[in-house]
Amino acid sequence: MAMLMDLDFTSFGYSGTTTTTTTTGSALSDDGCNWNAWSPVVDWEALSGGQEDFHNLVDSMMDESDFGLQGLNVRPNIDIEEECHYLYNATTTDHDESNGPEDLKGMRLIHLLVAAAEALEGTNKCHELARVILVRLRELVSPKQGTNMERLAAYFTDALQGLLDGGGKCGGNHLYKAEHHPTDVLAAFQLLQDVSPYVKFGHFTANQAILEAVTHDKRIHIVDYDIMEGIQWASLMQALVSRKDGPATPHLRITALSRSCGGRRSFSTIQETGRRLTAFAASIGQPFSFHQCRLDSDETFKPSNLKLVRGEALIINCMLHLPHFSYRAPNSIASFISGAQTLGPRLVTLVEEEIGPTGEEGFVGRFMDSLHHYSAIYDSLEAGFPMQGRARTLVERVFLGPRISGSLARIYRGGGEEEGCSWGQRLAACGFCPTNISFANHCQAKLLIGLYNDGYRVEESSINKLVLGWKSRRLLSVSIWSSKDNES
Amino acid sequence: MFHPKKPSSMNPHERSMCLQGDSGLVLTTDPKPRLRWTVELHERFVDAVTQLGGPDKATPKTIMRVMGVKGLTLYHLKSHLQKFRLGKQPHKEFSDHSMKDASSLELQRNNIASSSGLLGRNMNEMQMEVNRRLHEQLEVQRHLQMRIEAQGKYMQAILEKACQTLAGENMAAVASASYNKPNINPDVSAMNFPSLQDLNIYGSSDQLHNQTMERSSSMDSFMRSNNNDNFFARKRPNPYNNNTGKSPLIWADDLRLQELGTSAVSCNIDDHQIQIVPLSIERGSDIDSGGGDFYEPKSVLSGDHEAMRENKFDSVKLDRPSPRRMNIQTISAGGVTHCRSSPFG
Repeated sequence: MAMLMDLDFTSFGYSGTTTTTTTTGSALSDDGCNWNAWSPVVDWEALSGGQEDFHNLVDSMMDESDFGLQGLNVRPNIDIEEECHYLYNATTTDHDESNGPEDLKGMRLIHLLVAAAEALEGTNKCHELARVILVRLRELVSPKQGTNMERLAAYFTDALQGLLDGGGKCGGNHLYKAEHHPTDVLAAFQLLQDVSPYVKFGHFTANQAILEAVTHDKRIHIVDYDIMEGIQWASLMQALVSRKDGPATPHLRITALSRSCGGRRSFSTIQETGRRLTAFAASIGQPFSFHQCRLDSDETFKPSNLKLVRGEALIINCMLHLPHFSYRAPNSIASFISGAQTLGPRLVTLVEEEIGPTGEEGFVGRFMDSLHHYSAIYDSLEAGFPMQGRARTLVERVFLGPRISGSLARIYRGGGEEEGCSWGQRLAACGFCPTNISFANHCQAKLLIGLYNDGYRVEESSINKLVLGWKSRRLLSVSIWSSKDNES
Repeated sequence: MFHPKKPSSMNPHERSMCLQGDSGLVLTTDPKPRLRWTVELHERFVDAVTQLGGPDKATPKTIMRVMGVKGLTLYHLKSHLQKFRLGKQPHKEFSDHSMKDASSLELQRNNIASSSGLLGRNMNEMQMEVNRRLHEQLEVQRHLQMRIEAQGKYMQAILEKACQTLAGENMAAVASASYNKPNINPDVSAMNFPSLQDLNIYGSSDQLHNQTMERSSSMDSFMRSNNNDNFFARKRPNPYNNNTGKSPLIWADDLRLQELGTSAVSCNIDDHQIQIVPLSIERGSDIDSGGGDFYEPKSVLSGDHEAMRENKFDSVKLDRPSPRRMNIQTISAGGVTHCRSSPFG
């Protein structure tokens, strides 16, 4: 991803100022030129005559089967051109066969998407142009069929359209449950778990760290920021019941944070999760109790609301960006982290999305990064569902689509600032200490991803952090931390 | 020229020895008498050498003078001094076996302590290290399998609950439409599962099949080489057997809710997947797997696995309840907590 970072987006179309590009669209097509030659000094005023010009322009882009690169005297955007190729190839299954018509179309879609993003929020905004490009994109892609890149482009097109129309105001809190039937969500969740290691990687790595931290404890208390359907704890309970060393099966208490705002799927309401976990614990003989701790109306966390018992090993569990998770407001997470700090927990487990390197990339840069991120996820899912296009599109529709539009909206509004710093860094800033990932934990992660397709990899990016990646792209990380007080 | 430790190598003449005079020298009786360097004699020799300023400064003549032992000739001393200079530890020849063993053990211990990395280790130690790591990996693998099973079981509970809820909704809908069928079992056709119906989730995946067969066959050879087909082989589902409900790859022809609730739960895939694990160990970068020896502990451990697994299954009851059994349970629970009576049966 260093390439992405190194990419100088400000050079996008800047240096290639030629006089030809300042003429109308028809002139562009005559020249065999294409969108590569756009430049900020294009006299957009001259183009304001009507959308026809844009149409011509866009059409000319699409008509050039070779992107017009060969016929281009000046190649100002060689960087971005290479970057697009890189972006595409890095996340496509068959690196060697990048000459098929599908790949060509995939490249084109990336170009168009980046162009649309540039027109939407680049240094030279032109919403009219963005609109035209999006219309053209819409003709080319569908979220339900086509190649990976086509379906991905469809969601990005939708997301961009949303930003264009609504200015990103309503895109932040995407409640996908409201849009999808609960059974769809459930089926998608099931499929996601079966074909990709994302969920299990996060849960198992965190759980293993928890198990290692509480080897000798008789009472364990886990405060879970976002318990969802509670599936993480089934495997932990199983491990606690079967552990050989340490005191006989310790008592496990889980406190789930609940939010006052509704709209949650029926299978993951807190009460339902509590009942299910209790039943599961009973079925395997795990002493267990379940509690709730209500967050304030603005989803901030107050440590005083938490019931703590002396002698319990306190664990803070913070699962943030697993593919099926809802978006949580940064303020809420920050309040949870700083609140947790005052409690002096034995261990903090954090799962978060790996975002590309931050820089002064602005909207377009972060857009590219996002495109890269999701195309890696799409690619990994395609490898998992080789022949089951419809199952795959279900997962995409239920989980990924809403996430794409949500994250683009946040990038659009905040310029990517609010996510510029990882939560792990935030934990370090709060005074938590990195705790080593054990050999067994690393080994477990490797074995786990060995169960899935080739292409996934686990890397230990620092002593307390395991990263799950697809090909060259880092996607998800687990990091573990402890309070300074607990150092021994 | 030291023979004391190798009496068998001496010829019969040399075996007959006699004490010579009060000097305590032990000489053979052959024409060219050889001296036996006893511990005491050697100590006197070393004392003399030290007194003379070390083995390099001392000469046989001066040593003979200092030692003052009758019968000791220049010839004896020359040879002994030579050995002393070269070997530096000729006295070891005189120490008894236990001493020797102890010192060599110490030597080994020092070796182990001094070489924290793999560099200084001999093959045995490396083998031990590899075995230890492999053992740990196998432990991790065993745990992982149980965790995956537990998670699958939990997921199944969620799915079954969803089935029941849907069935309830459907029942209500059906009743209000005055069809009035007393259909307790979740009816497939009545399920509102729009997106997943006839999805062919795993059905037509030839590619996946081939992959599995490939992996299975390599597993077979792996098993045979171990002469142990308990653990993984028994777990291996037959990809073409649809009836067991354990088949990981085939979700029947069309994905129906009933199957989603019962057989098509994540355990299925996991059953299939866990058998691939040994391959991933082979690939594992942590272990420099060079020889077939590395698999040796596996056969032992697999026995453990089997036992553990059996044990686990007994106590945990990981087998999936059929929907029919579920219904019986719900009914017998007296309808107090209608759908919630322990879905983990």
